[in-house]
Amino acid sequence: MRRITLTSLALALGVVLALAPLVLAQQPPPAWKQGQSPELADSPLAPVPLPPTPTPAKDIPVDKIKLPPGFTISVWADGLHNARQMAWGTRGTLFVGTRVAGSVYAVVDRGDRREVKVIAKGLAQPSGVAFKDGALYVAEIPRLLKYENIEASLDNPPAPKVVYEFPKDAHHNWRFLLWGPDGKLYFNMGAPCNICMPPDTHANISRVNPDGTGFEYYARGVRNSTGADFHPVTKELYFVSHGRDWMGDEIPNDTLHHAPRPGFHFGYPYCHQGDIVDPDFGRGRSCSEFAPPLLKLGPHVAPIGFRFYTGSLFPPQYRNVAFSAQKGSWNRTVKIGYRVMTVELKPGQPPKYEVFADGFHQGDKVLGRPTHIEWMPDGSMLLSDDYHGAIYHITYRR
Amino acid sequence: MVIVAAMVAATVALPALAADLEAGRRKSEPCARCHGDGGNATVPGTPSLAGQPAWFTHWALVKFRDGRRKDPMMSPVAANLSDADMADLAAYYATLPPRPRPQTLDAAKAAAGQRLAVSHHCTSCHRPDLGGQHQVPRLAGQDLDYLLRLLRAYRAGTAGDLEGLMTLAAQPLSDADIENLAHYIAGLTPAP
Repeated sequence: MRRITLTSLALALGVVLALAPLVLAQQPPPAWKQGQSPELADSPLAPVPLPPTPTPAKDIPVDKIKLPPGFTISVWADGLHNARQMAWGTRGTLFVGTRVAGSVYAVVDRGDRREVKVIAKGLAQPSGVAFKDGALYVAEIPRLLKYENIEASLDNPPAPKVVYEFPKDAHHNWRFLLWGPDGKLYFNMGAPCNICMPPDTHANISRVNPDGTGFEYYARGVRNSTGADFHPVTKELYFVSHGRDWMGDEIPNDTLHHAPRPGFHFGYPYCHQGDIVDPDFGRGRSCSEFAPPLLKLGPHVAPIGFRFYTGSLFPPQYRNVAFSAQKGSWNRTVKIGYRVMTVELKPGQPPKYEVFADGFHQGDKVLGRPTHIEWMPDGSMLLSDDYHGAIYHITYRR
Repeated sequence: MVIVAAMVAATVALPALAADLEAGRRKSEPCARCHGDGGNATVPGTPSLAGQPAWFTHWALVKFRDGRRKDPMMSPVAANLSDADMADLAAYYATLPPRPRPQTLDAAKAAAGQRLAVSHHCTSCHRPDLGGQHQVPRLAGQDLDYLLRLLRAYRAGTAGDLEGLMTLAAQPLSDADIENLAHYIAGLTPAP
């Protein structure tokens, strides 16, 4: 009986295979279009194309940026094509990662000007940078690289050591790097899609020891986190994440999350923004199964850098307040984001969410994309722009 | 047509670097030996640059310069170009009218390729007329051998993909699929 069944199965399969060339299998669309419903097939929305070259400082419309009273913004460094995450070396070098430019830069402050050196090029979206014990760590898509004693050899950088190998999927796997209070290096491994059932290795925030050993998942159900920080007082992890696309202009929100300890699941792909069950992947699931977001940041605002302020230059009310740089929407008919927001967290109170720097777009026109945040030694802010390939300096004077 | 206009309107990109068309014309003189008069190449295997979106040509040169894309002819050329050189060249070629290339194409392969172009979503990024946009190249009427070489390189992961989209798109393609797609694309009349 069993033999007969198998034979008929083989026969049926043979028929299917014989017919196969007549019917073309529909292939998955490009990642940015995936999850789009058929009625949106002609949507004009698409990711913002990034220029092939940095914009000279004199052509960057920094005068359009609005800030609270007392704050000023200027272009601190230009010529950093597609600048993303920044990290200080102990000898005062600013290291800057990139995505599509494929380069890593070192910026040396010469007082009246900034000298930009290319220390690595041709890498695969090396967006994440971190520095410790004289070494620069760079996260490109497939590898965590370590450049030892880098500040002594900026003009002749050493060949990097490969500290850790990541999954090779490119989409949503441009990474941030963040040192934890435990001395471990934290990073994101995003969903390799807009909306899908991600493999176990993806849609999380994870950590390794500085030598690449001891890999652990820290937070799961995280679609695409591109910024995180540890609270300066509680030392607990807060991170931002991008919500899925093609559900409409108003949903879902991008989100801020709190992961006080490892092991939480934040909902993806089942639940978005804490209260929307995914129409395809959420069937039979409930948002109550997952850790809710701390704050809805707005739909499609695209939060990138997220940093707590610990300096003393800004007015006292900014102390321990988080800054969220939002590079801005593409999957929305009216642009939103293109700004820097503040989030004030107080125990027992809802987060206070306010505009800090605004005006990086005018209607459909992109005037810049604020991406990552770093602090100057005096407590002022450096803000990278991956559209113009520049770093802004935001400072405060009473 | 409405859709095409809307696609352009969705994001207005600022010119990142002001380009000098006359300088671009002058700087393109040595390129003509392979890429042809007016950017319309006739050497098999060499792409036509006429009418390519400026950001595509510029990004291609950036990738040759930083080593993500490798070619025995282009790598040494791009190594000595500045950002301004690239911007000038790319802007100049974008203004030139593309012409169909004299090449022998297989109608049966092209017919199969037309179906593949739909099922593989080529038009999602390259636009409905495969005329390209922003950093995405015009494919319509491009050289057959060049299209074959690039599709194979994307499938092999050696084409220096910016974001990995073409590498992913090329993975399911069989040798025959690549042949069919290339014959279809090469035979399209490039829009002026």
